[in-house]
Amino acid sequence: MGAPAKKLEPTPPSAITPHSNITDFGRRIFRLIGEKQPSTFNKNYWSGRIMEWSMRRPDFKLNMFRLVDVLPTLRDSASIARHVSEYLAPIGSDLYRPLGWALDINPHSLRAKIMAFIVQRVVGQMASQFIAGSSPQEALKPLRASRRRGQAFTVDLLGEYSVSEVEALRYLERYLEALEVLRLATPEWDERAPLIPGHPGDLSPVCVSVKLSALYSQCHILNFERSVAVLSERLAAIARKAQQAAATLYVDAEDSGTNPMIYEAFCRVFSSPEFAAFPYPGIVVQAYAKEARQVIDKLLRFAAARGPIAIRLVKGAYWDHETILSTQNDWPSPLFSFKQSSDANYELLTQLLLDNHAIVLPAFGSHNVRSLSHACCYAERLGLDRTKFELQMLYGMADPIAAAFQSLGYLVRLYVPLGEILPGMGYLVRRLLENTSNESFLRHTFFDSAEIDNLLSAPQFQENL
Amino acid sequence: MFKNQALTDFTIEKNRAAMRRALDDLERSLRTAPLKAFPIVEGQELTTAVSFRREDPSTESRAVALTSFAGVAEVERALVGLSRGAAAWRSTAFSRRAEIVRRAAALMRERHFELCAVINMEAGKPWREADADVAEAIDFCEFYADEMLRLGPPFKTMEIAGEENHYFYQPRGICAVISPWNFPLAIACGMAAAALVTGNCVVLKPAEQTSLTAYYLAKIFLDAGIPSNAFAFLPGWGEEVGQALVESPLVDMICFTGSKAVGLQIIRSAAQVRADQQSVKKVVAELGGKNAIIVDDDADLDEAIKGVLYSAFGFAGQKCSACSRLIVVGSAYEPFLARLKEAAADIISGPASDPATLLGPVIDRESRDRILQTIARAQARHTALFVGTPHGGGYFVPAAIFRDVAPDAEIWREEIFGPVLAACQAENFEQALKLANDSQYALTGAVFSRSPAHIEAARNGFRVGNLYINRGCTGALVGRQPFGGFKMSGVGSKAGGVDYLVQFMEPRTVTENTMRRGFAPE
Repeated sequence: MGAPAKKLEPTPPSAITPHSNITDFGRRIFRLIGEKQPSTFNKNYWSGRIMEWSMRRPDFKLNMFRLVDVLPTLRDSASIARHVSEYLAPIGSDLYRPLGWALDINPHSLRAKIMAFIVQRVVGQMASQFIAGSSPQEALKPLRASRRRGQAFTVDLLGEYSVSEVEALRYLERYLEALEVLRLATPEWDERAPLIPGHPGDLSPVCVSVKLSALYSQCHILNFERSVAVLSERLAAIARKAQQAAATLYVDAEDSGTNPMIYEAFCRVFSSPEFAAFPYPGIVVQAYAKEARQVIDKLLRFAAARGPIAIRLVKGAYWDHETILSTQNDWPSPLFSFKQSSDANYELLTQLLLDNHAIVLPAFGSHNVRSLSHACCYAERLGLDRTKFELQMLYGMADPIAAAFQSLGYLVRLYVPLGEILPGMGYLVRRLLENTSNESFLRHTFFDSAEIDNLLSAPQFQENL
Repeated sequence: MFKNQALTDFTIEKNRAAMRRALDDLERSLRTAPLKAFPIVEGQELTTAVSFRREDPSTESRAVALTSFAGVAEVERALVGLSRGAAAWRSTAFSRRAEIVRRAAALMRERHFELCAVINMEAGKPWREADADVAEAIDFCEFYADEMLRLGPPFKTMEIAGEENHYFYQPRGICAVISPWNFPLAIACGMAAAALVTGNCVVLKPAEQTSLTAYYLAKIFLDAGIPSNAFAFLPGWGEEVGQALVESPLVDMICFTGSKAVGLQIIRSAAQVRADQQSVKKVVAELGGKNAIIVDDDADLDEAIKGVLYSAFGFAGQKCSACSRLIVVGSAYEPFLARLKEAAADIISGPASDPATLLGPVIDRESRDRILQTIARAQARHTALFVGTPHGGGYFVPAAIFRDVAPDAEIWREEIFGPVLAACQAENFEQALKLANDSQYALTGAVFSRSPAHIEAARNGFRVGNLYINRGCTGALVGRQPFGGFKMSGVGSKAGGVDYLVQFMEPRTVTENTMRRGFAPE
């Protein structure tokens, strides 16, 4: 336990935050959260029921999520009725008797039509918890509302995998369009005023997060040079538009096979003279990656040469995918095997980022109260005020947690996905999986009612780096 | 426990660099002269009067290999030599034979990238394909070595008082291995390793186009410790060396992978008994495929497009497992074709040595001309959804997709062995299965669907040797997805599967009456 700290340069003892401070801070956050529940776990809704069943019954969860995944592709109610029966008949009615009403019915009957309508509504409702709208226009209202509540946002456009350049360019076009919509709309907002005066991340209300790989259809590690060249060119187009819209941006991290190209393109674009004045271009580092420390070191060197950048530190969202892929191919996994190791690494990297606040604006992306409390306490220990970092959370995932930190004066930014339901479905399923996973902090907090002190205990490395 | 050789993780920079280095090394040496390959008989490399020049299919002009071709005289000499060595090799302990075959795997592991480079330049196989070829060759050695340890020890049939019944296998004798160019290392290695580990002597006759890769393999076998009178290597013309082997009374078994036409000819010819022939020749033949992918109307189209493109155009469609028929169910047809067309336009075609290449060159001039003619005929008869522009320089052909193709069309029925895909619409899933099964061949197939009922229906009703659900139809792994089909796709059981080695052996039963004067062992 803790052995890997030997390999990472240990943080000087004077800088280490006493655990008790973090616990006290965390308890305070939990008091502020009180009895509030994020809408996902609200059992008054069908979706809350579905989440509850998913957590109780893994077989239901598998089939339910597969049904949710296929649903937007289905073109008529007969097809919906057929799929609902196929997925839920084996398990549905012993879980909840009235479900039998919806199963094994004639797909062309009126009952099928009604059932299809209800299912689509329920899933649409679930999706709308996490997705703010199908278009930038549609999202203006919820975006503005978030600022009114005192929360910043960053907009992400949900995209299908781009199989062709036509699709990749259409995706690029959507980013440019979203920036244009926001550029035109926001000057009229009263809510455009800085949420925390002097916070460099909030110079403008407009911020976008870019999923780079979908901007080039032939993006592949074996096509490295061309991929970086094309991604740089398209990222530059977005950055140019962002400059016009006075917006900031983050480039999202993806899977380990794509990240080397993403980091390369990011550095290429934001070291060019054209974007020398771009304020705090943002990039993401995933703490679950064994190489995260080296990635940050490289980015720090980049920032030292280029001028300050923003780094969003997250745990990482591709764990299952990559772990399965590594196992299938008999490759050593590039990621930590245990969630706790990622959490421990997250804290080490949090300290590293805050130590370098002169050249980095850290953004801590997490819903884990312990991880965020650790960041806040460590910043305080360094004597940093609240303009030196920010906290980021996913739209619709953890409203009570966001509100609690916000009430203590921290800048909270919501990561807000926009898009049609079809490309959004992958995103929805990932969020549902995250919420119902046995290791989910949110599940422990809001569903399992785990002991607060357990939730706040310091994570330990479970494996060597 | 058998474990597949890991494919190279090219996301790691040092692996990309290692492959690059191997290609550069080979490139540099080719600038001086092409590499040379020779027949090997009784451990001796022979120089013959006939020399075969093989060009790099990516550039056409540069010679990669100069191979001395064996003729009928070398066939005779090799077979006589092997007949002399047969007794010693068959009585070598099976565990020892397994050890030698494993050592061949170890040698290939050590020379992984060097072998990839040779395959890349001689066969025009892009990076990932060349890498998989070497990994599969290693897998065959390890898997068959394991299998031999399982099958080697005699076992008792039943426990009966006063009687002992033993069942065990013996090798067939001399096996002629006639291997194709599309998996120049893996298939040659798999067939030869299976024959050797079971105690047969082997003559390896590789496809003309990839004699150099096979020469590397031959030397690896000998370096690993296969006795020089148990293994001969005879590069040469199929019509000459191949035919002489098939017809020779000294050959007991023929193991072939290649076209249906040649395979059927071998089966016919092997059936004729010649003077002095001691045994009925056994033929194992893995032939072609006309493999279909069904895209259901509820499929994840992103995944389906990736799967179809890679299965149809990876290594320019020159795999027996490649997809050449596409069946889309109902209302998914138009949206799927629209996206497929756009996606096909962007796939990267280029020299095999460029790591980005998906669609490399085809194997040779003859193949290129034949595929181009097929595409031209299809353009006259069918609606082209997409026909690309071939990359310049080597033996390149464009990727081609035709739509609304009727089931009696040439491009629906005949194996083309190139990047040509015929598409049609099915009214429903049931009809899609019917269309898929309506073929002489039954090798691979795939279904993209998210309907549990349809997936179940395909499991039983899509009758091919290797069916893939929600992934493409190529890339079978040894042991994990034993590979091979039926109908006109071949005779014999699956390579890399538990029934494969038995074909190279004859089972024998020995019964001993152990009772003497009423006294028998307990």
